[in-house]
Amino acid sequence: MLKIIKITGESLSPKYQTGDYVLLATNIRPRRLRSGDVIVFQYEIYGQMIKRVERISPDSAQIFVTGTHPHSIDSATFGPISPTNLIGKVIWHIRKPR
Amino acid sequence: MFHKIFQTLDTKLGFEEAKAHCDVPCGIYDPIVAQISALTVVRMMDLMAGLESEGVARDNSMSRYIAVKEEHAEKAKHEVRIIWGDYIKDQHVEAHPELTGVVHKVMQLGSKVRQTADREAGVAFVEAVNQFAEIFWATKNVKTKKAKAPYAPALETVYPDL
Repeated sequence: MLKIIKITGESLSPKYQTGDYVLLATNIRPRRLRSGDVIVFQYEIYGQMIKRVERISPDSAQIFVTGTHPHSIDSATFGPISPTNLIGKVIWHIRKPR
Repeated sequence: MFHKIFQTLDTKLGFEEAKAHCDVPCGIYDPIVAQISALTVVRMMDLMAGLESEGVARDNSMSRYIAVKEEHAEKAKHEVRIIWGDYIKDQHVEAHPELTGVVHKVMQLGSKVRQTADREAGVAFVEAVNQFAEIFWATKNVKTKKAKAPYAPALETVYPDL
C-alpha cells in the first residue's frame, strides 16, 4: 500500500522541509528497516511524525528515531517507538522548489 | 514539476500531515552568561585578596564577595549544562570530540573555584568556559575573536565575530 504525506516542521531540515511531500510504503515490517531510513509513525502526544531511523533493537521491538535539527524532538526525548505505531517508510521524497 | 502536481492533488484531496517536530522554546543559546559569570568569579577573588578594611566591615565585604563567587561559579556551570543538555547533539560531539572533556573541565574547575580562593584556578575556569564558547560558536559556523574583557579582571574572552 502507498500513502502520500505532507511535511510540516523543520526537525529533518535541511533535507526535508515544510511543504515537501513524501510517498510512503505502508506495508513495511520493522525488521526490514535500516538505519537512515525515514519513517512516519504515530506518537500519542505529537500525532503523526516523520523522523529518521537511528537504530532498531535486535529483537525489532523498539525503533529509535532521530532528527537532523539540533532542536529535534526524537527518541532522545521520548524514547523508542513501538513497531505497532509505524505507519510507513519514505520511498519517494518530493521536494518543494527551494 | 512533481511538487506542483502533488500540490494540486493536495488542494483537492487534502493529504495528511506528518510533523517533523522540533522543540523550539526560544532557540536562544549563548555561552556569554557563563563567560561573564566565570569572569565574575575571578573578580571576586581579586576583591577578596585586596580587601583592606577591618572588623565587621571587613567581614561584611568578605561575606558578600564569597557569596557572589559561589553564585557565579554555579551560574556558569548551570549555563554550560543547559547548552550541553539542550543544544549539543551527537553530530556536534563527533565534529568536536574534545567537547566532552571541555565540559567536564568546566564542571571540575567550577567546583574548585567555589572551594578555594585560588586565582590560578579562577583563570583556568575562565579559559575552560572560553574554550566551550569557541566550540559552541563553531557548531553554528560563527567565527570568533579573542579580546580582553572591557572591565576588571580584563581577561581574554572569546566573542562571536559578527
